[in-house]
Amino acid sequence: MIQLLVYEFFKIGLFSFGGGYATIPFLYDISIRYNWYSLRELTNMIAVASITPGPVGVNTATYAGLKTAGIAGALFATFSEILPSLILVIIVSKILKKFSDNFYVKSVIDTLKPVCCALLLSVGAGLIMPEIGSIKFMLLLGVFLIISFKSKKDPIFYILLGGIAGILNVLIQKLDLSACLM
Amino acid sequence: MKKFSLIKLYFIFVKVGAILLGGGYVILPILNSELCEKRDLIKENELTDYFALSQSLPGMIATNISIFTGYKIRGALGAITAMLGTVTAPVISIIILASFLECIAGNSYITGTFRGIGVAVTALIFLTTREIWQKSNRDGFFYFILAVALVGLLYIKASPAVVIVFCSMLGVLIKRIKRYRRID
Repeated sequence: MIQLLVYEFFKIGLFSFGGGYATIPFLYDISIRYNWYSLRELTNMIAVASITPGPVGVNTATYAGLKTAGIAGALFATFSEILPSLILVIIVSKILKKFSDNFYVKSVIDTLKPVCCALLLSVGAGLIMPEIGSIKFMLLLGVFLIISFKSKKDPIFYILLGGIAGILNVLIQKLDLSACLM
Repeated sequence: MKKFSLIKLYFIFVKVGAILLGGGYVILPILNSELCEKRDLIKENELTDYFALSQSLPGMIATNISIFTGYKIRGALGAITAMLGTVTAPVISIIILASFLECIAGNSYITGTFRGIGVAVTALIFLTTREIWQKSNRDGFFYFILAVALVGLLYIKASPAVVIVFCSMLGVLIKRIKRYRRID
């Protein structure tokens, strides 16, 4: 059981490109081939993974492992999923170090900066687009950006403030004060 | 340079993993704050390179970039330490919460909190972009690659890995042509 779990999650780690959500098709495939967890459990797993700290891929692996083989399963599934990353990243780091003066390595590094800006912009656009009609979302985003112009803050500051604003929003809706406030 | 303690490194990454809410992308501003600004363990431009490289390798961005930075700071041992640190809080929180996770996921206060955190994450993404933007040497090459990458990501909707590999090849090609011209 554990060997199979290690094998399946190692495969996920090796073949999922582009972040935690890329692991979902693999988890779906596993739920069909093995009787480890049901599709309904998978849906819950994804919902839960997105509200607990950590990368979604790690959270789903831990949860799936836990459902399948207890705490040992959770640990084995998580580490088998990260093992390919560990090996590949160390190899790439060694190459970068050894050939840091090489023309090709230097050119690729120079190219990565604008590409990185583009990646972040597209992630930002992806986060804003579904919320573009929400006044509260845009207002809070505006407040954050204004704060950032005034002084430099720790990322935790924004995350905490965002969480508090989210709770207040639910409280206001629950108390039905929204009519007076809007 | 004195070697940075592995235990300290581990706890830095435990903290990084614990505040990693709302998707792996937030790890860039968090690492920037923890490793560049507070401790000067790594240069900011190295971190952005690692971020792009992390996206072009298989696996999760957050774990990949942790392993890259851990390796840079303390070699292979540092890489393993950083990886263990990043997953500590997520693994423990899932194991503890697993039994009553289903009611948590449906609770309106919890989902509300995460909607708020989503706004913070969006703001952090733009702040990081602005910082990298200000610190880059923005020449014609920079704008050209930026435009190509944006078209690839937003218009063609190609996967990040494909865009990174394509742009890298294009970048190498442009630099080579430039070099040959200079030699002539």
